[in-house]
Amino acid sequence: MKRIIIFCTILVMVSSVSCKKYLDIVPDNVATLENAFAMRNTAEQFLFTCYSYMPLHGNDERNPALAAGDEFWRPLPAPTDPQEIAKGNQRIVDPYMNFWEGLNGGTRLFGGIRDCNIFLENIGVVPDMEQAEKDVWIAEIKALKAYYHFYLFRLYGPVPLIRQNLPISAGVEEVQIKRSPSDECINYIVELLDEAAPDLPPRIINEVAELGRFTRSIALALKAEVLMTAASPLFNGNVDYTGIVNKDGEALFNTTYDKLKWNRAADALKMAIDFCEAAGYKLYEYKNQYPQYAISPVTIIQMSIRNSVCEPWNSEVIWGDINSRADAIQNRAAPRGLDPASVGVGGLNGNIAIPLKIVEMFYSNNGVPVDEDKNWDYANRFRVKTGDTEHKYVIREGYQTAELNFKREQRFYADLGFDGGIWYGQGKFDDKGTDLLFVSSKKGNPASEIVPNYYSASGYWPKKLFHFQNIVTGSLVKRPYPWPVIKLSNLYLFYAEALNEIGGPQPEVFSYVDLIRKRAGLLPVKEAWTTYSRNPNKFNTQEGLREIIHRERLIEFAMEGQRFWDLRRWKQATTEMNKSITGWDINKSTASLYYRETFIYNQKFSARDYLWPINENELLKNGNLIQNPGW
Amino acid sequence: MYKNSTTKARSGPGSPWQKFLLTMKLICVLLMLTFLQVSASSYAQKITLKANKMPLLTFFLQVQKQTGYDFLYNTNDLEATLPVTLDVTAMPVREALELCFSGQPLDFDIDKTSILVKRKKLRARINGLVVDTTGIGLPGVSVSVKNNNAVGTSTDMNGRYVLEVEENAVLVFSMVGFITQELSVKNKTVLDVVMKVSTNNLEDIVVVGFGRQKRSDLVGSVVSITPKDLKVPSSNLTTALAGRVAGMIAYQRSGEPGQDNADFFIRGVTTFGYKVDPLILIDNVEVTKTDLARLQVDDIASFSIMKDATSTAIYGARGANGVILITTKEGTEGKAQLSFRIENSLSSPTRTVELADPITYMKLHNESMLTRNPLGGAFYTREKIDRTIEGDDPLNFPVTDWKKSLVKEYTMNQRANLSVSGGGKLARYFVSGAFSKDNGILNVDQRNNFNSNIDLKTYTLRSNVNMNLTNTTEFLVRLNGSFDDYSGPIDGGSKVYRDIMRTNPVLFAPSYEPGAHQSYIKHILFGNSGNGDYLNPYANLMMGYKDYSRSMMLAQIELRQKLSFITEGLTFRTMANTTRNSFFDVNRKYNPFFYEAMGVNLTTGQPNLVLLNETGGTEYLDYSEGQKTISSVFYMESALNYARVFGEKHSLSGLLVHILSQRLNANVGDLQQSLPYRNTGISGRLTYAYDNRYHAEFNFGYNGSERFAEEKRFGFFPSVGLAWSVSNEKFFAPLKPVVSNLRLRGTYGIVGNDAIGSAADRFFYLSNVNMSDASRGAGFGTERGYTRNGISIDRYSNPDITWETAAKKNLGLEIGLFDKVQIMADFFSEERKNILMTRSYISATMGLNAPVRANVGEATGQGIDASIDYSGNLGRGVWFQARGNFTYATSKVKVFEEPLYKEKYLSTIGYSLSQQWGYIADRLFVDDEEVLNSPKQNFGEYMGGDIKYRDVNNDGQITGLDRVPLGFPTNPEIVYGFGFSAGKGNFDISAFLQGLSRESFWIDAAATSPFGSYRYSGETANKIVQTQLLKAYADNHWSEENRNLYALWPRLSSTRVENNEVRSTYFMQNGAFLRLKQVEFGYSLSKNLNKRLHTNKVRIYFNATNLFTWSSFKLWDVEMAGNGLDYPIQRVFNLGLQASF
Repeated sequence: MKRIIIFCTILVMVSSVSCKKYLDIVPDNVATLENAFAMRNTAEQFLFTCYSYMPLHGNDERNPALAAGDEFWRPLPAPTDPQEIAKGNQRIVDPYMNFWEGLNGGTRLFGGIRDCNIFLENIGVVPDMEQAEKDVWIAEIKALKAYYHFYLFRLYGPVPLIRQNLPISAGVEEVQIKRSPSDECINYIVELLDEAAPDLPPRIINEVAELGRFTRSIALALKAEVLMTAASPLFNGNVDYTGIVNKDGEALFNTTYDKLKWNRAADALKMAIDFCEAAGYKLYEYKNQYPQYAISPVTIIQMSIRNSVCEPWNSEVIWGDINSRADAIQNRAAPRGLDPASVGVGGLNGNIAIPLKIVEMFYSNNGVPVDEDKNWDYANRFRVKTGDTEHKYVIREGYQTAELNFKREQRFYADLGFDGGIWYGQGKFDDKGTDLLFVSSKKGNPASEIVPNYYSASGYWPKKLFHFQNIVTGSLVKRPYPWPVIKLSNLYLFYAEALNEIGGPQPEVFSYVDLIRKRAGLLPVKEAWTTYSRNPNKFNTQEGLREIIHRERLIEFAMEGQRFWDLRRWKQATTEMNKSITGWDINKSTASLYYRETFIYNQKFSARDYLWPINENELLKNGNLIQNPGW
Repeated sequence: MYKNSTTKARSGPGSPWQKFLLTMKLICVLLMLTFLQVSASSYAQKITLKANKMPLLTFFLQVQKQTGYDFLYNTNDLEATLPVTLDVTAMPVREALELCFSGQPLDFDIDKTSILVKRKKLRARINGLVVDTTGIGLPGVSVSVKNNNAVGTSTDMNGRYVLEVEENAVLVFSMVGFITQELSVKNKTVLDVVMKVSTNNLEDIVVVGFGRQKRSDLVGSVVSITPKDLKVPSSNLTTALAGRVAGMIAYQRSGEPGQDNADFFIRGVTTFGYKVDPLILIDNVEVTKTDLARLQVDDIASFSIMKDATSTAIYGARGANGVILITTKEGTEGKAQLSFRIENSLSSPTRTVELADPITYMKLHNESMLTRNPLGGAFYTREKIDRTIEGDDPLNFPVTDWKKSLVKEYTMNQRANLSVSGGGKLARYFVSGAFSKDNGILNVDQRNNFNSNIDLKTYTLRSNVNMNLTNTTEFLVRLNGSFDDYSGPIDGGSKVYRDIMRTNPVLFAPSYEPGAHQSYIKHILFGNSGNGDYLNPYANLMMGYKDYSRSMMLAQIELRQKLSFITEGLTFRTMANTTRNSFFDVNRKYNPFFYEAMGVNLTTGQPNLVLLNETGGTEYLDYSEGQKTISSVFYMESALNYARVFGEKHSLSGLLVHILSQRLNANVGDLQQSLPYRNTGISGRLTYAYDNRYHAEFNFGYNGSERFAEEKRFGFFPSVGLAWSVSNEKFFAPLKPVVSNLRLRGTYGIVGNDAIGSAADRFFYLSNVNMSDASRGAGFGTERGYTRNGISIDRYSNPDITWETAAKKNLGLEIGLFDKVQIMADFFSEERKNILMTRSYISATMGLNAPVRANVGEATGQGIDASIDYSGNLGRGVWFQARGNFTYATSKVKVFEEPLYKEKYLSTIGYSLSQQWGYIADRLFVDDEEVLNSPKQNFGEYMGGDIKYRDVNNDGQITGLDRVPLGFPTNPEIVYGFGFSAGKGNFDISAFLQGLSRESFWIDAAATSPFGSYRYSGETANKIVQTQLLKAYADNHWSEENRNLYALWPRLSSTRVENNEVRSTYFMQNGAFLRLKQVEFGYSLSKNLNKRLHTNKVRIYFNATNLFTWSSFKLWDVEMAGNGLDYPIQRVFNLGLQASF
């Protein structure tokens, strides 16, 4: 018995000693977060991580400003997330484009903000870096943090401000944070940008490796855009939001109109414009890249418009999103069978349709709205008309198309592809040649619905988004371009808008609008309206001029993801986005039947849609969070 | 064949085995010589004597006179002695005594100057045949000598045994499932035994954790199954489990060879962790479900299922979900015995999903478009429909029965196994091999030169060798390999069924024959439409094939040492095992060329087949690498066992075991997962029984797992149990004839589980940082030339996370009636604590990349499992057995971190772990008017004819807050089975029924939504899919003409309608069923025939599985529940032959 006890004791001792060691299998140098800030190289990785939360601006299936508005329409068996919103199906159960939680097509912005904070907390300890470089990086991260907050603010209104990270171990009470009032949100975002701007370079010097990162130009432009949003009717004295309060009674919206907000915006714009111009940004103008062909001034203007978007890093783009380039969106932007010899070209889906109301929005060739133009037969715009010599650069001669497509401004022809419309580029660079591509989309023609889902439901395509050097013969070869998030032209029209809000019609307002019009080959506002408009004095009142500036913006930035935000900002979405989506009767093969306006969809937009709903689950988790009005 | 090879092995010079034996013999001889020397030197006295028929007593006196030695004897012993006749001169005493004692029933011993005379212990060679009540030899019956652990054997394949025992020994014959018998040898040399099937099981030897116990001593809840009950005509053992064992919840969801493992849980599921299935041990080594599936029933010696804390606590870390413990057969002494079994079976789906005919499909497809959007066009023209009905141009107006083109009516499968067992004094062996070939039910295109049907060949090989190194040392070597060779469709069989469900029947044909002008084409002209990007399941199936190979190799050595030299009843054993698993697959395929029929070619007059993907197709096979999984497992256990009976009444046993295990996986893709998985610990057991009436047991496991922080690594899991055999009490004697057995058992204990979270999620105390996360990367520069991967956190560290524990209670009742009926019932309850779960209050604004988790969850489970057995003779030689079992296991969430719901019904607390929440579907909307006047439903667009949900919380809209608990849990709460077997003479018949109930499942509205496009999770969206129309939906759906508000399917739609797809009562189904699981007829050859054939036993049998099912659900086999569109469960008819020589 004794021997057993000894034996057992030894067994137990040996095994329990070895047990402890046996289970100790984790090597000491398993990666932890400290490794991320142990050297410059990994800190740079973390910097890039913070950038990686950037919303995908150049992807129409991920950018609500592109497909969740009323500019793009796509025939799809299963609508994409932004399109569900466009159709009025936004909901509080598992919302679409959920940027709050990073679901259903939304980017997880609060995750980005957390990583930004982690970066700011830890960058100080990186040993092998100069303070100067750290300062630049810190400034970039602050700007990013500001942008993520701003993006949330635009979608959801007042949001909780994540100035500092809560620890993982934070208790139930601590994590129940509440939304901050809208003015506080704006001030915090501006504060971050103000802190960031001085340390950022005016523009990128090391372009091959750094283009796309934050610059002082971007920070200043962004700040101006933030303040424009804050000054606009949706957030400036919007009485619809009276009584929207936090659980503790704190009002989330300032419902008193404050004109000074426009001044603040105008100041920021002035500063941004001056700074950017000094840094070398200017309105883009196309230089003929194929000197062997003498192309007409009309084509030059069109190419200035098209390439102000498509030409990578052109002189007008202050902020290009290199991490979300216009790539797949180009597959959808040009019609299948654009080159009739390659009807089956793989990859060219051509299924983004531009509704007729957008088509009609473009000015006449006189630079005024078509329904205001004395010389433009608005009533008969759907009549069939054959392409003539006068329009030979824009409409195929002898081709039957609608009156609507005639006598329009060059931005119309630059932006839109349509049945009978000439499509300059794609290997055909002589605009006097007879082999120029043109769209033929009546039933049975190459661009019509031959393959299910791969067609334009309205008969119009966003030519503006399709790089003119892409190859469509044989197979689609694309030139993806960084998505232009902020352009100098944008600041010009913002500035004009702000000045008009402050003091009504004044020379500076006109000068900035006319800069844009000039590039588009249009007469200045005063001249155009005085000469051609049935409402020649429109620009003399603040309201009239506001309408002109608004329309100029909508036309200039059509399909670029600005209209979505502008309509909200101006509180005009309830009007605009309750109009029907219409197009041509695309399943007809003869012109007379084809050119009939056909109903496609009835969009619905109610007051609650201005601010998106927060998933009801989030409200259950956080008792201090309140839902947006109407949801 | 066999004989030759063994003779060779025996005589083969220089084989290592031979050398070993020779060495051992030499050592023994040398030792003996040494001892002899010693003894010879101590006796110098010599005697001279002449005796003729001298009485023994006189002889003693003579010797005493001459040598001075004293004789000590019992006078009674001298009674039957023979007189001595002897003539010796100066012979040493010992030699003389030996001469004199030879032939006497006496023995002597010389101790100094005394000669001790005692009655000789006679050793006799005894042999015999052990048969069952039908007269068939029973292999594997354990034959042992009462009160002497040193001697014992077991019967060979034919039921024969040979044993050398003392004359007065009592032999004990025992086998699981039979009544243990004790028979005295007396002076017999042949002892034949008829084993009776046990109904009271009390004398059974039950295999328990790290040992064996008599059923009558058992305190814990352990069930053992007779292996032959698990014999089903399938090469998957897991499919046999449902309804066979009280306490096991089991069901099968797919019938695809290789993918048809049943799901099974012991006493239900009470954790929300990933590891919910029981620990499976074969010969004490942990194996996977697939390894269990491949196990040959004919190789199983015992199959035990341990359910409560007392029986599983000894497994500590690993036993929380119950334990299945299987031992394989060992060789028995005797000449080689051969046994084989061959089976051929025919299998076909029990029930397949019925689809609407193509014409209805087209009409309703048009209806689906027009009913939602009257302005939108129809999909099929009048002409298309009319010409298709006429059927005069099948090329341009195709009608394809995809199921027929892809799937056969039935398939044939073969299985065979063979085992050889035998051995001698030194070594015994059991070697078995098995082969099975399972064919899928898919068609093969003869134009291909490869087989794209499923062809799964599995091979297993097992070799168990026992060697007696010394009298007290036994050495075992077990080698086991199981190998699968698979060839089949690239995406597997279920994908074929899923694809059939998702292909338009009137768009194109599976393939076309090339016209005369295209005769140069070598490839198959697969059909397609549009861009060639429609799903053509025929092309998908025929375009290539996948080979996979899976192997499991297991090598095990074990040493058993009796330590009776230290103290009686002490044994030591140690076992080491290594298992290697490997899996790889290879895909070979060509890219199909797709053609579309487009009218007639005007120049050739031939049908115009237009190639749709000129650059996409290939005529040659290409190759793509598949996954490779390799793992290596090491396991070692050392145990010290002690068992002894003191003073007849006190029996005491103890066990101390040390275990060590390690698993290493290859190709895991991350550092933390690449580290070895380890467990170690000490477990122990102490049992005490008094007078076979009172039993007490204490078990513990002290286990460590590498997954937790250092302070939290070890867990202590104790358990205690008591049992009272009431029927062994004196006062019970009068009742005994009626109630032959009455026993009460009770146990309580705690078991642990370290498999929490997910398998990939290991070191909870460490954060897991991905230092190079491409999905969090970014790039900058003119052409985005400067890119860096990001850094992301996959897990936040929490050093407090530790073991999940389960406190289990078990109360058992055993009743035996008339020695014929045996009832066993166990009432159990379980309390799981420390279940790892995600903290619910962390909202998105925290911005965390990974969930924050803690051991906060709690759940309980309780239920009953019971079984009843009857065995008896019905007279006239008819024997009859019936058995039934029933399991009712429920679970309840007790602590679950969730938001503070205003709506109490949203809380999961108090509901089963697999309870589902969903909406109450009142009916369908009458019209759009009603839609406008009803609470808004937040799941996408809907209109009249779509499902109307109830606004439970009356807030004016239907949101997640209106979800209520629906129906039963998705895991059945009741599983039961019952059956009988009977026989007369050479014939036997058996039938077994199995059922389950209290289970709900949902028809997958998304996957069955006609004309919609549905992709299973993980599928890439490279082909256009269009869901088929179920016949049931075609016959019964809401339409404008027939506004049936309770139609099976709501208003048709050409796209999916999310509103109708959310989980609701609308598509909820009752999963209960009862099925005739198995019927078997057998015929065994008579003894005479066997003699003539030189066989020992031959049995021919026919059986069938899944013959009938009773259920209220008719669309597909109800057991598949929500997976009804997958590879169906099979009905099998099987013919088999079993023979042994």
